[in-house]
Amino acid sequence: MEPENNSRRDFLLTGLVAAGLTVAGCNSKKDPFEAGAEGVAASGKKVKLLSVDGEVIEVDEAFLKPVPHLPEVSNAEARVGIPGKKFVMVIDLSRCKNLKKCQSACNMAHDLNPGHNWIKVNPMQGAEHTAPYWEPTTCMHCDEPPCVKVCPVDATFKRQDGIVLIDSDRCIGCRFCMAACPYSTRVFNWGEPDLPAAVASQPYSAETSIPQKKGTVGKCDFCADMTRMGMLPHCVSACPNGTFFFGDLNEDSVTNGADTYRFSDLIKDKAGYRLMEDLGTKPSVYYLPPAGRNFPFESGLENDKTQNS
Amino acid sequence: MNTMKLLNKIVAGSIAVMLLISGNKGFSQGAEKASLSITLSYYEVNNQLPHISALVKTKVDGRFKPAGGIPLKLFLNKDSAGTVIGKVVTNENGQAFAFIPPSLKNEWKSSKTHTFLASFDGDKRYESAKADLTVAKAKIEISTADKTITAKVFQLTDTTWVPVKGVDVKFGVRRLGADLPVNETPTFTTDSTGQASADFKRDSIPGDAKGNIVLVAKVEDNEQFGNIAVEKTVPWGAKFVPVNTFDERTLFATRSKAPIWLIVVSSGIILAVWITLILLVQNIFRIKKLGQETE
Amino acid sequence: MENSLKGEQIVQELLPRKFKTSGRIWVGILVAICLVGVYAYYRQLRYGLIVTNMRDYVSWGIYISNFVFFVAISLVGSLITAVFRLAGVKWGAPLTRIAEMIAVGAIIFASIIIIVDMGSPERFYNLFLYGRIQSPIMWDVIVITTYFFISLLLLYYPLLPDIKILLRFKEKSGPGLHKFYSFLGSFWKGDHKQYLLSKKAINVLCIAIIPVAFTIHTVTSWLFATTYRPGWDSTNFGAYFIAGAFLVGAGSVVVAMYIFRTWYHLDKYITVEHFDKMGRVLVLLCLLYLYFNVNEFLTPFFKMKESEAGYLNDLFSGSFAPIFWFAVLTGIVLPIIILLFKAGRKPLPMFIVGIMVVVGAWFKRYLIVTPTLLHPFMPMHDVPKMYTHYFPSWEEWAISMASLAGAMLVITILCRIFPIIPIQETLDEHHETAK
Repeated sequence: MEPENNSRRDFLLTGLVAAGLTVAGCNSKKDPFEAGAEGVAASGKKVKLLSVDGEVIEVDEAFLKPVPHLPEVSNAEARVGIPGKKFVMVIDLSRCKNLKKCQSACNMAHDLNPGHNWIKVNPMQGAEHTAPYWEPTTCMHCDEPPCVKVCPVDATFKRQDGIVLIDSDRCIGCRFCMAACPYSTRVFNWGEPDLPAAVASQPYSAETSIPQKKGTVGKCDFCADMTRMGMLPHCVSACPNGTFFFGDLNEDSVTNGADTYRFSDLIKDKAGYRLMEDLGTKPSVYYLPPAGRNFPFESGLENDKTQNS
Repeated sequence: MNTMKLLNKIVAGSIAVMLLISGNKGFSQGAEKASLSITLSYYEVNNQLPHISALVKTKVDGRFKPAGGIPLKLFLNKDSAGTVIGKVVTNENGQAFAFIPPSLKNEWKSSKTHTFLASFDGDKRYESAKADLTVAKAKIEISTADKTITAKVFQLTDTTWVPVKGVDVKFGVRRLGADLPVNETPTFTTDSTGQASADFKRDSIPGDAKGNIVLVAKVEDNEQFGNIAVEKTVPWGAKFVPVNTFDERTLFATRSKAPIWLIVVSSGIILAVWITLILLVQNIFRIKKLGQETE
Repeated sequence: MENSLKGEQIVQELLPRKFKTSGRIWVGILVAICLVGVYAYYRQLRYGLIVTNMRDYVSWGIYISNFVFFVAISLVGSLITAVFRLAGVKWGAPLTRIAEMIAVGAIIFASIIIIVDMGSPERFYNLFLYGRIQSPIMWDVIVITTYFFISLLLLYYPLLPDIKILLRFKEKSGPGLHKFYSFLGSFWKGDHKQYLLSKKAINVLCIAIIPVAFTIHTVTSWLFATTYRPGWDSTNFGAYFIAGAFLVGAGSVVVAMYIFRTWYHLDKYITVEHFDKMGRVLVLLCLLYLYFNVNEFLTPFFKMKESEAGYLNDLFSGSFAPIFWFAVLTGIVLPIIILLFKAGRKPLPMFIVGIMVVVGAWFKRYLIVTPTLLHPFMPMHDVPKMYTHYFPSWEEWAISMASLAGAMLVITILCRIFPIIPIQETLDEHHETAK
């Protein structure tokens, strides 16, 4: 049977490592199911490793999982983004009890100074007689980003995978983007960031947003470096309650690490929505309403005092 | 040996950056050393490259927290110079990974079970710690028909592969960062023939341009076998070609992609005004020339 | 009364004069304020904008207020020179030079203060390397440059005949200044051909400066109006800004008129009648600005949208209410009342009204920037406490005051070098009336 044969051969060719072995030469594959998926290009550097059968095989470093050794992403590549992807986040408000683990993981991963929270967890209450809830906010990575519209020097930009990033080597610090962002997501490095010398001396990478620089704007970057490696952003894996879901809209799937849902089903079943839809910014972050919540609102109050008293 | 060093560099290098961040944190204040717990896991995908993952945790205020920056030595089967898998350092999440270097080829082939050893020598902050993990050699075979996926789990006994009963298998579609289960049932258990089947209920899930998706059958955290996964590409998805506004001329595009109307209008205005101004400056020189002629 | 004046006497009275002791003290004070500002800016360059009290919510503070204020004042050049000229207002002629000097001084410091506000001013060149035409900041950069250039030309062209006169008094101006004058205009002979070319150029400039002036302030208003923020998200903003700009510009000209008149004893040239007429212009502009303010605040107040309610309440009855009502009363309402009376349009009351208008306008600019930023859509949460309010630091005050002093210094230096009242025009008018 012809098709059966084909799929059997596919079976042999798929799998990241196997693909890395066989297609290592072609680094311009766009097919998301071939090697080089997630924008990974062969690095050309090979390592010899042992296979399950005890054979010695050669593998390109870029295809090693779980820790692919990717060549450094150039500024031009970081500005274009990963082809075929459209990153999306879903935040389930019913799971949040303001533990702020997302915030501390994010701050640590991006070497942020105290007070420079890219993730904020806000106590929200729509009206006097509606129920309060905790609402974590990240950058919304809008599809029509008002911040990018106003940037005079292309320092903040929208990529094809939907991520909005900042080039801190170019930002002139005019702060127009901060005024333009209705979600107040952007923070500014008013002074010289307090960083370890080894971090501060690194060349800036727009995908890691490290190191933050004096007189430039910073914000949530959807952990573009992690997603390039096929890993989840730090806030997603840090939340013990699985509040954050992350995924690729083009694959119609989101995961919080433990549970994986079909994005369209999740949004349909739980009546997902986006913030300030009326402004026309078209965010990439969706919220699930705090219905059937796992924790009472009050359980998060104590934890809120450290930063807001 | 060279390869092994390189491998260590790969693993340690990618973690080094994070270490610098987290390195200073987690010092216990008292003089007493904290104890560490090491958990080892074994992974193989598509019967190709196996790797070991170590998770190191420590108890802080009665709770386990990941311990970053812990150097570990990994061995295969026994703790000796000839059986070193590698030296790794845990990242901020307390994790470290290692592949099996070619130098262990004979050791690897010599038995049908593998024992992995991890040891930490102890330092100023933590007591020394050890862990081991033994896994039996196993494999999964996957077959598909009529939107049903069947996985067969085998174990190596002496020289033959025999089916294993009662192993939990999960079926999913490979997606970013995780596998989307093929239906509502989270796990399936193999029967006496070592088989488990699941119906594919993710109709019209986006695949590639040809509608191909990657199915995966996996055994997770099994005490006997560790983590084994096998993938297969099937044309069961919806054909999907991403559309993108990235290259369009918009107000939020890059400078080279400004809308045509904006370029035309703005350059029109700028030109009109500045040509006038240049003429006015030129006019000054005309006046000057007139003045110099009369002298 | 001008019939009794002789031409030579006019020239003597209108020539720029050396500073006396009071003039030197004045310049000394301005320079001292500027030096303090320079030191504050040095600190800002060294430590970053952290020395200011701007933070993530109030990310624009008095630097931007000051910028808007300067741009507003600079519009007066186009008002007095161009609008009056095109409208055939003859009495405005002696005021044109004052207006142009104020415009040049203000626009220079508008550009300087915007660079001061940048977090990374050393990357200013990025605007030219990577400029995006989609950004309203880019529009502002282009239009400010253009306006500055036009203002210089509009100052320069009418100066040419005066420079010819100035060149006659080598002894009085000294060798340095004399050399400078000859560089600027020794070629001007004042013959018919030159006169025609110059007149044509001035006409073109007067027409060109009006749309550019409208654009500069409209684009400045768009820096705010292109965002979603309550208080800025307004279609009225361009017109509202321009009305306010003409008002503060006219107010500053009145102040300058009074000072120059008293200081240089120019009573014969800047007459009581001038004050009366400027008073009428001022009251008209006040009424116009009042109209736009009602437009800007009444309709949102009537609706009280959730997103705007906090901002509006803060202005009308909250923490910004004292400044808000002070700015409205001193900057608009009281001037209207005073100027409606003929006695209110005498030089001294006019001077006071002018100061009230300028001070009120400065606070109005402060209110345009800060309260909006303190009322974002999302709650101000998970940030240090100090982020949730704003009062400028001493560095911000020092730099802002220095920029105001700097603008005044530029005007002072210009009036030391060039005649405040156009001499040739006054002579021509004198000859005409003598006939």
